[in-house]
Amino acid sequence: MQDVGDGAKNNNLLGIDEQGPKVYELGYLLVPTISDENLPVVYGNLKELVLSFGGEIVSDEIPKMIPLAYFMQKVTSNVRNKFNKAYFGWTKFTMNSLKILELKKHLDLDANFIRFLILKTVKENTIAVKRFMRGESYKRPILKRSTENENIMPINKEEIDKEIDALVSI
Amino acid sequence: MKQDYFSANNIKYIDYKDIEILKKFMNPNGKIMSHKRTGVTAKNQRQLTRAIKHARFLGLLPFVVK
Repeated sequence: MQDVGDGAKNNNLLGIDEQGPKVYELGYLLVPTISDENLPVVYGNLKELVLSFGGEIVSDEIPKMIPLAYFMQKVTSNVRNKFNKAYFGWTKFTMNSLKILELKKHLDLDANFIRFLILKTVKENTIAVKRFMRGESYKRPILKRSTENENIMPINKEEIDKEIDALVSI
Repeated sequence: MKQDYFSANNIKYIDYKDIEILKKFMNPNGKIMSHKRTGVTAKNQRQLTRAIKHARFLGLLPFVVK
């Protein structure tokens, strides 16, 4: 019993909480040498890896080729590789806090990754840019339509009929 | 006094992937602006700094612009 208590204390000191699953986000950069055909395979393997550790995927984005803001290097089998572009992707998932360390150890050994970042996050969508773009574009046309409708209302039907008749007669 | 950008736009969580928003709070050399210039609350300034540093680590933003 005492051992269990000490273990729990040690875990608390290390910042590990033995409560339920938490929401994490894994952002990663894959090496650009992966071909377009193999990319879905690598992406699928990553998803399977998360699921194998008892994770549940909340949302994710397929890796896309992006230019990097600076050169990154990675040493694989005593060869230094420099990259100025990479596949960037992210996955949001729920996982037990103890399992996340095992996942990190596993990803450390993966040769396809240049870098990765595991963060605590929230379940809700956190990307804000797209939300604003939609909000502004949706509001403006509605205002224009309402003003147009007000202008149309006072037009008399008889006047319109007369105008049409005049046009037809010509 | 300048209003907090994030509370004005109802952003509760500052994401490191929102690089267009993060760029607004960096100077032309790529340095993070101080809270005096940004007018952001202390809590959001801490979140903002963390998000920029995460984005830099993953190569989405530069450490230095020469």
